[in-house]
Amino acid sequence: MKLLIIEDNEDLLNNIRTYLKREGYICESAENYSQAFDKVMSYTYDVVLIDIMIPGGSGLQVLRELKSVNPEAGTIIISAKNALDDKIEGLELGADDYITKPFQLPELHARIKAVNRRQQRDGKEIINVNEIAINTKTMEVTVEDHPVDLTPKEYELLLYFSSNKNHVLSKQTIAEHLWGDYVDHLANLDFVYQHIKNLRKKLENAGADNYIESVYGIGYKFKVTRQQ
Amino acid sequence: MKLISKFILIYLAVTVIVLGIGGYVSYFVIKDELDTELKWRFLDRVERVTYLIEHGKKFHNPDKAKSDDDRHLMVTQLPQSTEPSVQVRDTLVWNERLQQMEPNLKMVAFRTVNNNSYRIATYGQLVDTDDITEAVTKILLWILGMQIIGALGVGFIVSNRLFKPFRETLERIKNFTLQDKEPIPAKETNVKEFDDLNRFVQEMTHKAVKDYINLKEFAENASHELQTPLSIVKGKLELLTETDLSPEQYQFVEDSQRSIKKLSRLSESLALLTKIENHEFVEREVVNVTKMIRESTQAFEEFIALNGLDVQSDLAEKVTMQIHPVLADILWTNLFQNAIKHNIDNGSIDITLTEQSLTIANTGQSPEIPPQQLFDRFKKGDSSSNSIGLGLSIIKRIVDQNNYTISYKFEEDWHTIRIDFEN
Repeated sequence: MKLLIIEDNEDLLNNIRTYLKREGYICESAENYSQAFDKVMSYTYDVVLIDIMIPGGSGLQVLRELKSVNPEAGTIIISAKNALDDKIEGLELGADDYITKPFQLPELHARIKAVNRRQQRDGKEIINVNEIAINTKTMEVTVEDHPVDLTPKEYELLLYFSSNKNHVLSKQTIAEHLWGDYVDHLANLDFVYQHIKNLRKKLENAGADNYIESVYGIGYKFKVTRQQ
Repeated sequence: MKLISKFILIYLAVTVIVLGIGGYVSYFVIKDELDTELKWRFLDRVERVTYLIEHGKKFHNPDKAKSDDDRHLMVTQLPQSTEPSVQVRDTLVWNERLQQMEPNLKMVAFRTVNNNSYRIATYGQLVDTDDITEAVTKILLWILGMQIIGALGVGFIVSNRLFKPFRETLERIKNFTLQDKEPIPAKETNVKEFDDLNRFVQEMTHKAVKDYINLKEFAENASHELQTPLSIVKGKLELLTETDLSPEQYQFVEDSQRSIKKLSRLSESLALLTKIENHEFVEREVVNVTKMIRESTQAFEEFIALNGLDVQSDLAEKVTMQIHPVLADILWTNLFQNAIKHNIDNGSIDITLTEQSLTIANTGQSPEIPPQQLFDRFKKGDSSSNSIGLGLSIIKRIVDQNNYTISYKFEEDWHTIRIDFEN
């Protein structure tokens, strides 16, 4: 997958690039409006990450230009502003998603994957993790063709894990992904464990390996050694 | 009191005083004129009598006088010679017709004709002072009446026509809101003072709008500037967890993450408070509160169950509020999260919603600070808690902005927050 990251902050850019490169993506970057404009006009990307505030112009303008030449490209707006206006304008301009700083890299990655999935036309809605197959269209999960009955939260959890294979995901990260801002004020995140326990049990009962590894009580890692 | 009524009142008060003094002066002027006139007339008479005596006319004894006029004239020949002189004095004379004493002017003149001295005395009734008073008063009342009509007429014209630009400016100031970010343009009038006012209003609103935009930008920029480095630290820590860390090191990273999260939430909450205070959420829509509460209790179900909480709700159907939907959501979420967060194990939450009020009560420890301080920024009822202490401030802001009233009480281990929609 080919990505363009439009972000003026070098450190943040490095973070995103480092994380995504490990996933085997081709990451290009633009640090200001003119660079972004040139790249958007000259090349095609699967997903473009756009920071709204960039030197020399607005990320929203880049988005407009991008949509005019390449409406197929997936777009995610990155903004420090949790401003409703920007969000609405961005989504109206055709952005596929909107993520607010400070975001978690696994969360960003999960969203990139989701956006990319939506861009794909046929046959790509199935995500395979060895013997596990996740159909993102019908939201059905099978292990070696045996259906596994998952709750919506467990399905989300599995999808999230599959997007961030071999990364340590803290309980906080997982909780925020699944429940959003509701978990902001909660000190006790044990409910994450409950869901993981159930998901693990269901997958194992269906004959899958145990991929979910606990990491020292900090969080979990979806460990997939065999690459499909 | 309206400016114009005040103006008219002052004008009339001054008029009354001026007319009063004017009347007083007029009275004396008129009286003086009349008296002088009478004196001249008497002097004429004396001169005439002297002339007649010179020509040999004999005057009767006044007692034998036939006419009234004659009776008022007494000419007596004096035995000895006297220097010519004139004496004038006021006197009271019995008036037969009016049956009362009337003020009269009496003039006694001594004249010498052909070496004979004569005393010529004459008197006549002065114009009654009451009559003068009456006349003056009558005139003054007429003037006052016309002044009142004039003042009202002028007032009407002034307030309708002359003050029109002023009223228009006032109306525009009333309708001015910072959110529109539009200063009030100065409109040309043909009155210098109004032009000054309008220009001043234009400058002031221009400055206010500029400051407002600056403040808004500052709040957002501050939030932006803070969020970017936070994002970086967060990302670096995430990348750090990917390396081979010892359990202790993981714990450090996790603790740092929690603090970063808190910092980011703090800046977001402050930005939100600023936005509410800047009245950025003023557009109101009809929000179905019953539905909102039902949906959110469902969303929280898991956390509720996990904390072993028992939630009882008594919700009236289809309760609606006129409020910005974002604010409604923030208001309720904050209230409900508070109730969950500050609860005890196996505690309870009671939610009551009626058309007039929303009450949320939860079991919990008694607060460590006086209840009235709970709504202040960074005041926490439980100092050890993980909260940032802005939740209730935000709630208070939202409540204030929508003209609701909020009250808090703690009784028998129950915290109760009540919001009244109508004040």
